[in-house]
Amino acid sequence: MKKGNRPFGKILMILMIVFFYLPIVYMIIFSFNEGKSLTSFTGFSLRWYQHMLESNDMMESLYTTFSVAIIATLISTVVGTIAAIGLSKSKKIIRDIMEQVDNLPLMNPEIVTAIGFMLLFITFKVEKGYVTMLLAHIAFCIPYVILSVMPKIRSLDPNLADAAMDLGATPSQALVKVIVPQITPGIISGSLIAFTMSVDDFIISYFVTGGGVKNLSIMVYTMSKRVNPSINAISTLVVVIITVVLVLINVAPAFLAKRAKKDEIKGRRMMVPAVAAICVVLAIVGVRGLNNKTSSRPYEGQTLYVYNWGEYTGENILRDFEEETGAKVVMENFDSNEQMYIKVANGEAYDILVPSDYMIQRLIQEGYLQKLDHSKLDCMDKLTDDVKNLPYDPGNEYSVPYFWGTVGIVYDKNKVDIRDLEREGYNIFLDEKYRGDIYLYDSERDAFMMALKALGYSMNTENSQELQEAFDWLVQCVQTMEPEIVMDEIIDNMAQGRKALGLIYSGDATYVMDENENMGYYLPETGTNLWSDAMVIPKNAKNPELAHAFINYASDYAGAYDNSSYVGYTSANQEVMEDLSGEGGDFEGINAYIPRSDNEMDEVFVYNEATKKEISNLWSKVKIAASNAD
Amino acid sequence: MKRFSQLAIPYIVWAAIMLVLPMALIALYSVTELGNTIISFSFTLDHYVKFFTDPDFLIILWRSILIAVKTTVICLILGYPVAYYIARCKEKVQNILVLCITIPMWINMLVRTYAWIGLLSEGGLIWKIFHFFGWNGSELLYTEGSVLLGMVYNFLPFMILQINTALCKMDHSLLEASADLGAAPAQTFLRVTLPLSLPGVINGITLVFLPAVSSFFIPKLLGGGQYFLIGNLIENQFITVGEWNFGSAISMIMAVIMMLLMMAVRRIELRNQGGKGE
Repeated sequence: MKKGNRPFGKILMILMIVFFYLPIVYMIIFSFNEGKSLTSFTGFSLRWYQHMLESNDMMESLYTTFSVAIIATLISTVVGTIAAIGLSKSKKIIRDIMEQVDNLPLMNPEIVTAIGFMLLFITFKVEKGYVTMLLAHIAFCIPYVILSVMPKIRSLDPNLADAAMDLGATPSQALVKVIVPQITPGIISGSLIAFTMSVDDFIISYFVTGGGVKNLSIMVYTMSKRVNPSINAISTLVVVIITVVLVLINVAPAFLAKRAKKDEIKGRRMMVPAVAAICVVLAIVGVRGLNNKTSSRPYEGQTLYVYNWGEYTGENILRDFEEETGAKVVMENFDSNEQMYIKVANGEAYDILVPSDYMIQRLIQEGYLQKLDHSKLDCMDKLTDDVKNLPYDPGNEYSVPYFWGTVGIVYDKNKVDIRDLEREGYNIFLDEKYRGDIYLYDSERDAFMMALKALGYSMNTENSQELQEAFDWLVQCVQTMEPEIVMDEIIDNMAQGRKALGLIYSGDATYVMDENENMGYYLPETGTNLWSDAMVIPKNAKNPELAHAFINYASDYAGAYDNSSYVGYTSANQEVMEDLSGEGGDFEGINAYIPRSDNEMDEVFVYNEATKKEISNLWSKVKIAASNAD
Repeated sequence: MKRFSQLAIPYIVWAAIMLVLPMALIALYSVTELGNTIISFSFTLDHYVKFFTDPDFLIILWRSILIAVKTTVICLILGYPVAYYIARCKEKVQNILVLCITIPMWINMLVRTYAWIGLLSEGGLIWKIFHFFGWNGSELLYTEGSVLLGMVYNFLPFMILQINTALCKMDHSLLEASADLGAAPAQTFLRVTLPLSLPGVINGITLVFLPAVSSFFIPKLLGGGQYFLIGNLIENQFITVGEWNFGSAISMIMAVIMMLLMMAVRRIELRNQGGKGE
């Protein structure tokens, strides 16, 4: 066989390694960054590691990821191999049918498989959580194992097992001693693929999980609201663990037994992920064990399930609450009211939800919420009158306000002439002067609010004609202005000053202005969405008692201060709001922090099912128009 | 060996529940009306009509397939030589290189995709390198290129590993025989190596094309909200719009199209196997 230097292959290989590892190295470097930026390194610091270790959520997601992956890999490797051997000896018709069945998760786009699992669990009322995630992982891993093992079995001599048995082997001996060794490479690569798929899975886990169970992917997805370098820290931890285990496995045996047999070397390839994962689990269990304290606190051993927006709580509030009450808080995050609604409507049980105004109205209308026991609440007097007793919940029978604010325009004072804003209001998003320099926020409600307000209509209009005009306005915007339609990426991007203008929530604007003093926040005179998010307790809550305690805690000065100062959204607690915006406060002089209360054009969203559906559909179409405009 | 065929029975039961039933549910939802329960429903084909009569949806579908095809072709062009190179290294080196390709996949896909945001965005490393070489554009991120890059980065290892497995499985004496019989290296490659590695190529294509066509977070993260693919459309129906029936219909359409495409690809493999027998 020709060997030679093969410089082309070598160069390609090197480039490939660089390609694969560049982002990883970049991530490791920036996990030590002192600042939050992902593009400029400002100094060495371990703060993100500290942050990571203090976060129960992160450590638990690691545990979930690896424990699910290990169990799913083990089970699917064994079951898949046995099934493949069995199928290869089955009647042709069964074999053909099963091949098609196995192809379902392989040949289907992942999202279709994910939706299938979700519908399955929901239809049969299986409570979504760790077990459903594990079942789904096993289900999609087995076909990968079969796919890798099958060709190996096909290439075997069909008489091999017979020969073994003729020579006196029992069927199970023939299987274990003759067939399995022949197909080992297939089993190894199959289990490798299964493990990799499971560790890496996002889409399927995302659709089938519940009860606050998160793997790394889901956690990263929900934590990404703000640039959060502790994600880099936790990833670096994973890299380090895998590297250490690799070194141990590849180097240590070489010292111990230099005469290791060839097939043992092969076996190691499969052991690597397994051992790595086991180490990770042990490490995490260890860390979790250390966190357990015992003492007598009022809610010792109980669990509170909170369903909240992503990045909507302070750095310490959950831990402080846990320490004070002895309860454990499991938090799950959503990034739209609709997402939350669908889960609640499908019977998932939470103790606390934090939806917005119009969604609370809908939840009350449809009977999903329980009335609060005001004798257990001592926080109402501390809250500002502006967000109490609102039309969606008169007398606050069901809800206690959490954050509130407006939706407005964040702009770079160096790039945008304030007179343009004053003259044009929201129509500045159609001003070609700023073409290619704007962000739209990917929320149907607020995009239509902007368009309707630009046209001088009510944002609660039910008039199809007006909605159509708003739709045309938005289509014109996406077709002529080259906007980027973003979600929370807008926060970091505006803080870095990447574009001139964007539609933004006031709380996010507060954060942006706090990070970058060149940024301003403008509310057009034609009105805005005066929104509020509030804590509610669903009817199927498992622990309403503890939920009331949490509502008190989050509304009290310490909890509310932690939330508001960290997230940047306006607190419903009067004193916190005054302290943060007042002299020496974190947000002194930032106009976005104090919601406007003197404009008659400002409105609160009212829920109307038909209109909501129409707007959803139209917004999908706007986004389609935007991608077709490229 | 009939006795072994019984080994498949538990799996057949499992597969019926976990693989067939979910698809049946999607099919059921796609032709029924209203509600997220199956207790009260009425049949309708409206959801399919809605999809096929709207050019916007069709364009999205077409674009999604197109970008998945591009991803697959790039992965094949890059992946085959790499897999070939690895397969011809010494076994020790092979193991190390295969590990090098596998390790990044153990580090979370979302995390790695996030890392690209930092690299590509204004002021990031790649952005700076591009500017250093005289490139004057403003955006690397939120373009079709960045979505394509993200997909190739995430799915290329699958291609390499699959082809590599097929190449390693190959009997090397065949190559020697081919050379002994006077074939030029190129001839040997085209006539012997390539056909024998085809099953790996097919598996690779499957493992790259499918996630690429339905991915929704890569376009979301690297393409921005204005880069809307069929996966995003489906996710939207289920997560925010709440139109599960329409979402199921789109899923069915996707599933059928993918089945057809993949069957076509598999046919190439079958024809190849048939040809060998003659």
